[in-house]
Amino acid sequence: MKQRSAPSAGSASGGTTSFARTAAVLSLFVMGLGQWFNRQYVKGLLFFLVYIVGLLYTFVVLPRNIRGLITLGDKAAGFGKNAQGLTVLLPGDHSIFLMIYGLIALITFLIFLFVWFLNVRDAHRNGKLRDAGKPVPNFGQSIRGMQEKSFPYLLLTLPGLGVLFFTILPIVFMILIAFTNYSAPNHIPQKNLVDWVGFSTFSNLLVYSQWAYTFWNVLAWTIIWAIVATVTCYFGGIFVAMLIQQKGIRFKGMWRTIFIIPYAIPQFISLLIMKNLFNSQLGPINQYFRLLGLEGLPWLIHPFWAKVTIVAVNMWIGVPVSMVLVLGILTAIPKDLYEAAEVDGASAFQKFRNITMPYVLFATAPLLIMQFAGNINNFNVIYLLTKGDPKTGEYAFAGTTDLLVTWLYKLTLDNQIYNVASAVGILIFIFIASFSILNFRRTRSFKEEDILQ
Amino acid sequence: MNKMKKPWFVMASSMVLALAVSACGGGNAGTTEEAPADETPAAETPAEQTADTGELKPEEGAKLLVWESADQKAFIEEVAKAFKEKYGVDVEWSDVGPDKSVAQMITDGPAGVGADVFAAVHDRTGSAVAAGVIMPNDVFEADTKALMSETALSAVTVDGVLYGYPYSVETTAVYYNKDLLPEAPTDWNGVVEFAKTFNKPAENKYAYMWPAGNGYWSFGFFGGYGAYVFGSNGTDPNDIGMNTEAAVEAGKFYQTLNQILPFKTGDITDDVRKSLFEQGKLAMNTSGPWDKESFKSIVPNLGLTTYPTLPNGQPMKPFSGVKAYFVNANSKYPIAARLFAQMASSEEFQKKNYQMTGVLPAAKALAEDPDIKADEFTATFLKQFENSVPMPSIPEMSNYWTTIDPALASIWNDNADPKTALDSMVQQMKDLAATAK
Repeated sequence: MKQRSAPSAGSASGGTTSFARTAAVLSLFVMGLGQWFNRQYVKGLLFFLVYIVGLLYTFVVLPRNIRGLITLGDKAAGFGKNAQGLTVLLPGDHSIFLMIYGLIALITFLIFLFVWFLNVRDAHRNGKLRDAGKPVPNFGQSIRGMQEKSFPYLLLTLPGLGVLFFTILPIVFMILIAFTNYSAPNHIPQKNLVDWVGFSTFSNLLVYSQWAYTFWNVLAWTIIWAIVATVTCYFGGIFVAMLIQQKGIRFKGMWRTIFIIPYAIPQFISLLIMKNLFNSQLGPINQYFRLLGLEGLPWLIHPFWAKVTIVAVNMWIGVPVSMVLVLGILTAIPKDLYEAAEVDGASAFQKFRNITMPYVLFATAPLLIMQFAGNINNFNVIYLLTKGDPKTGEYAFAGTTDLLVTWLYKLTLDNQIYNVASAVGILIFIFIASFSILNFRRTRSFKEEDILQ
Repeated sequence: MNKMKKPWFVMASSMVLALAVSACGGGNAGTTEEAPADETPAAETPAEQTADTGELKPEEGAKLLVWESADQKAFIEEVAKAFKEKYGVDVEWSDVGPDKSVAQMITDGPAGVGADVFAAVHDRTGSAVAAGVIMPNDVFEADTKALMSETALSAVTVDGVLYGYPYSVETTAVYYNKDLLPEAPTDWNGVVEFAKTFNKPAENKYAYMWPAGNGYWSFGFFGGYGAYVFGSNGTDPNDIGMNTEAAVEAGKFYQTLNQILPFKTGDITDDVRKSLFEQGKLAMNTSGPWDKESFKSIVPNLGLTTYPTLPNGQPMKPFSGVKAYFVNANSKYPIAARLFAQMASSEEFQKKNYQMTGVLPAAKALAEDPDIKADEFTATFLKQFENSVPMPSIPEMSNYWTTIDPALASIWNDNADPKTALDSMVQQMKDLAATAK
């Protein structure tokens, strides 16, 4: 590339002309033209190639895919006979594939528009350089500059594209499913087409029919469960930790180990064993009750007692976590606070209320909210212990101990009702996202506070 | 300004690359999507080629993938060997069990990554047909119909079209411990009488157990009294027969059995039954052929009999399952796949399968086979199979599964009026069907 001395060229061709504007306008209409105008020929050629490919794509591929995304297909696959009388598949449109191709096309088109924007911007920038009387870099300089200064941008492009196609696209796809009628038995491709149905999945789920009844009841139990499970584990943990930390308690290490064991056993095993322990006819727990002359309880088979049992078993798993957490915090509380309190004649409860509890709460409140969000999605405990049973016929595909997340699992994997499952998924997301946001806000508010520092 | 320019240029040029790559990707997507339209005539060409010879030949360069469970691997390899010899086509096996193959085929088949031939339990046939992922059994229809038992055929027929190539049947019957009772009672009267002498709840001793709260295991009572789920052939979603007079009769009798099995439905788990059976505290335990070997190992003196006769004089009619091979409608080699399914389900290979893995054959003639008749267990199961109802295979069946268990639980645990419970169950089935519209 020849590099002319730009300053003289720029000022010679008229003091009032703006190279920047001309280059930008040229690039706006034809990609690369502005770069040529700026005498960056190789770069201009590259942009022009993108322009050609992009335009071809936009006029040939894009309309078809976008149309597929809008209509979700016109003709489903079916069977026919060929000349020999053999049944053959007559392929048709597969709505779900059309939806994915449409999304890919849309994202690709947006990337093309973004490159176009960069091209205009680049032309404008270099035009400004010329306006200011500075030389524009040639291609070799641009590449060198790229290696020196902006290598990270180059590297980031790949993960960036990865995020677009492997994170954003599936999420958008999942959200879109909620606005279709993609569900068994009548709307499963390839023999059937899936249609857009707008918000009717949501209105069914929230207002009408058995879906609404199931949804609100399952939601209510999910929230109750999340609150109760979080609170019991949290205070259970504090309680156990404080007992172990009492003066005069011997074998502290042993106690800690014993309480940690339930957490260390894989839940897949321990919960399935629990299921047998709580068998109300033959399980050891009720057998012991009978030895004492009591009838025992219908642990896992009565809607109410099943819920109680789940909370209790969850404590057995969850208390160790809070306990370890609180043990760490307890050792960090300055001993002289307690000594001062003793001098003032404070009772044990007063010491707990005014020294221990504020310390513990201060350190763990954000975690508490996180645990709450986690419990909303606590799949293991419910699914392994009761599978959502005892069942009730009044619910659509759910049992009385099902959480939203286990219900969602049953809807997708057992019953292929994808649209409702997707809508439930979106609602769970909104729910948990609001708690996460709350959590982050709490964290910062704590950072700015300094009552205890 | 100058500093900023270069990063943007870099971004731009890397986006060029990105666009080029993704444009190709998108372009491909476009072409794959358009391809089906061109394929329609193409799909007919292989058949036209064979048209002049008049008999079926596998496609040139065909290569088959078969889905079956791991315990059938050896058998599939055996068939594959014979198939390779006869047609020169390679067959590969992959571990996808008959219970989950249809769900996977519904997603994998249209995407072009499904097996060419797969084994499935018949109760998902309706879903597979509704999704259009299985090929009708057209070429070998007459052969299959001549060979298989009536029940097996109707299980894999949807709307009058035969889809599957049945190879095995299974149903449930009553295993009993001959040390505890030498001869199993043939009717429920006998069972109840025996239970009165044998049952000792304090010692956890029970005469007869089955998962009472489960709609699969408890259907035998309803079937025996003449109740049905969907129409007479299990195909009419608008004719639900679970709250007919017959069904209520069955429900009433079912409820009386609570006295000989004083359990809550949720407590009768497989673990419980198996451990009691092993300890000699359970005299009769219901199960299918799949538990034969494990029961033999825990109960030395094991017997098997068909279900006891109901008080109305009719035998119980439990649900049965039919395992069949299906041809993937999207298979690249539909003719080779048909030939393989036909060969694997032929009488010769059903017998071989029985010898290798012990599964019950679906062929009528094999029920009379001297080897099989000599095997007391298989013969009993086949006898019970003759008196069974194939699980309805229409997609609405999921509404039955989800509503029957709570209905049984309320009849059994809470002593609810059978008519009320069954009426509400049927109403719920209708509601669920209505919401799916």
